[in-house]
Amino acid sequence: MKNEQMMVVENKTIAAKTHELTLSGPLVDAIDQPGTFLHVAVPGDDLVLRRPISIAAVDQDVGTCTIVYKEMGVGTGRLARSRAGDQLEMLGPLGEQGFPVEKPQVGEDVLLIGGGVGVPPLYYAACELVKRGVTVSVILGFQTAAAIFYEREFHELPGCDVRVMTDDGSNGHPGTVVDALNERPSPPDWLFSCGPRGMLRAIETHAAHPKTNGYVSLEERMGCGIGACFACVCETGDGSSYRKICREGPVFAFKEVVL
Amino acid sequence: MMEKEPRLQVTLPGLTMKNPVMPASGCFAFGREYAELFDLSELGAVAIKGTTGEARFGNPTPRVAETSSGMLNAIGLQNPGAQAVRDEELPFLAGYDVPVLANVSGSTPEEYVEVVQTLTDAPNVGAFELNISCPNVKEGGIQFGTDPDAAAALTAAVKQVSTKPVYVKLSPNVTDVNAIALALAVEAAGADGLSLINTLLGMRIDAHTGKPILANEKGGLSGPAVKPVALRMIHDVRQVTNLPIIGMGGIQSAEDVIEFLFAGADAVAIGTANFTNPFVCPTIIRELPSWLDYLAMESVGDLRQQGVNI
Ligand SMILES: Cc1cc2nc3c(=O)[nH]c(=O)nc-3n(C[C@H](O)[C@H](O)[C@H](O)COP(=O)(O)OP(=O)(O)OC[C@H]3O[C@@H](n4cnc5c(N)ncnc54)[C@H](O)[C@@H]3O)c2cc1C
Ligand SMILES: Cc1cc2nc3c(=O)[nH]c(=O)nc-3n(C[C@H](O)[C@H](O)[C@H](O)COP(=O)(O)O)c2cc1C
Ligand code: FES
Repeated sequence: MKNEQMMVVENKTIAAKTHELTLSGPLVDAIDQPGTFLHVAVPGDDLVLRRPISIAAVDQDVGTCTIVYKEMGVGTGRLARSRAGDQLEMLGPLGEQGFPVEKPQVGEDVLLIGGGVGVPPLYYAACELVKRGVTVSVILGFQTAAAIFYEREFHELPGCDVRVMTDDGSNGHPGTVVDALNERPSPPDWLFSCGPRGMLRAIETHAAHPKTNGYVSLEERMGCGIGACFACVCETGDGSSYRKICREGPVFAFKEVVL
Repeated sequence: MMEKEPRLQVTLPGLTMKNPVMPASGCFAFGREYAELFDLSELGAVAIKGTTGEARFGNPTPRVAETSSGMLNAIGLQNPGAQAVRDEELPFLAGYDVPVLANVSGSTPEEYVEVVQTLTDAPNVGAFELNISCPNVKEGGIQFGTDPDAAAALTAAVKQVSTKPVYVKLSPNVTDVNAIALALAVEAAGADGLSLINTLLGMRIDAHTGKPILANEKGGLSGPAVKPVALRMIHDVRQVTNLPIIGMGGIQSAEDVIEFLFAGADAVAIGTANFTNPFVCPTIIRELPSWLDYLAMESVGDLRQQGVNI
């Protein structure tokens, strides 16, 4: 965990209200696990809370990392206005539990399901899996055609099977990621997912199979981002304890916590 | 490690502080996370997360929401309970050269007494801070913080079992007259110091859905937005009592600390700003000496003297 100024290398729009920000700085050295995130200080003195954004890709050779964010409000709106050469202060990488990309074996059925801006950390996970020779299938869900991003990037990964779903049917297949999941002939060995809470809940229900090792990445409004303020807790599956999403997550095994 | 700056030292009941800066209760847990970022021995003291008799899970999420130059929180006093704090958290903090201000909460006066009994002999607990002003729990908290008689009775009960000095943390959710009455009542009941302010009760509504953003609907407002309220209350209370005051509410910079000391605070606590910048406490501590130079003041104590005389 470091807190550093990172330099904006590029900030470009890749879909409706969705931007890809490439950053460089020594913090990149510490990034080694998909699912972890950065706590981004938004420029301007009036915002007291940082914005958690997942790491979408890292290139250790060049010394850059990438985040993808959707303009949802004042903070992400301001990030969208940053330009190459600007400095942004970030704390990260945060989260001790990311997607366990080191576990799936070559030949196993690995399925990644992303909804909207839940897609970016799965892209990082896919890159790491493919690097180890594991092929992956991905289901990407978006509201509408204009919101789609990273379809080509996933296609370019060797052996990657990509299925795009849109809620309004304006591109890819009409329906939700759960419809696509239910159409698969057999349960996957590994399932990694990130997206809205309702989607994760549905996935956990529909993919509950003894063969499937399922993991979900959670979002919650955060204060500190490091485990000190108790803002982002969720109950463990058995109701006996709790986990801090920022610290002990943000990725949890199916049933580890209450979705 | 920073060099020792004798000009920054402050000695308060139970708290011998290298400098007047401590992280505020609830914004620093028990120090473990921030210890990964800097040496906790640099701090003047550490105010730990509000501790109750039993472990508490707190309120449903979302528990925080941002506001203009501030934030709302409705954590609901989540903590591992007094025994776990004593056995697991305080020993961790004892690894650092820094006194602990143990923040205590409860639903009943008996619970406050129980927590103080459990923690009072921990060697690194320098003093207690009674949170009688938490707006985020249904029972206890705020009800003790608005009624001077209840606050005084609680203070007296705790004083009977505490081997350490006791600070009482006051709420801004009261009238001016009531704030003065509360300060005087707890002083008469034996309080060794005051902390002010806790958060102001507030609310936000999601403009897209019409629903409150916080699951608890309402929460406590903190951050720079509350700074003028904090300064006003410290100033007013300082006019009626000479008890030590730990001032807090929206401090973000060394300049803010100077303002609080001029208002009549003896030391300060920093809450929300830790989230904005996790290094805010050590950064401020480092900047304080040049502020003293600029003001041609010998020590932090001189500022407070100046302040009282305003
Ligand atoms: C671990 C984690 C990873 C995330 N990764 C991504 C990502 O890769 N791409 C992406 O587009 N978004 C991601 N998000 C969501 C993103 O943090 C919010 O969309 C963003 O904070 C909204 O900020 P804003 O100022 O634009 O919105 P506002 O609504 O103006 O923000 C107000 C406050 O609410 C908080 N907030 C609002 N929405 C969310 C949310 N969904 N989750 C957490 N806090 C929220 C903000 O952080 C801020 O404190 C992630 C969230 C978490 C917790
Ligand atoms: C997330 C959060 C949790 C808090 N928890 C406590 C607590 O447990 N006990 C307490 O006395 N005050 C608690 N407070 C209040 C702070 O200690 C402080 O009085 C207040 O936030 C004002 O300071 P600030 O503006 O610097 O944050 C909490 C504040 C925040 C933001
Ligand atoms: S955001 Fe503070 S504990 Fe998770």
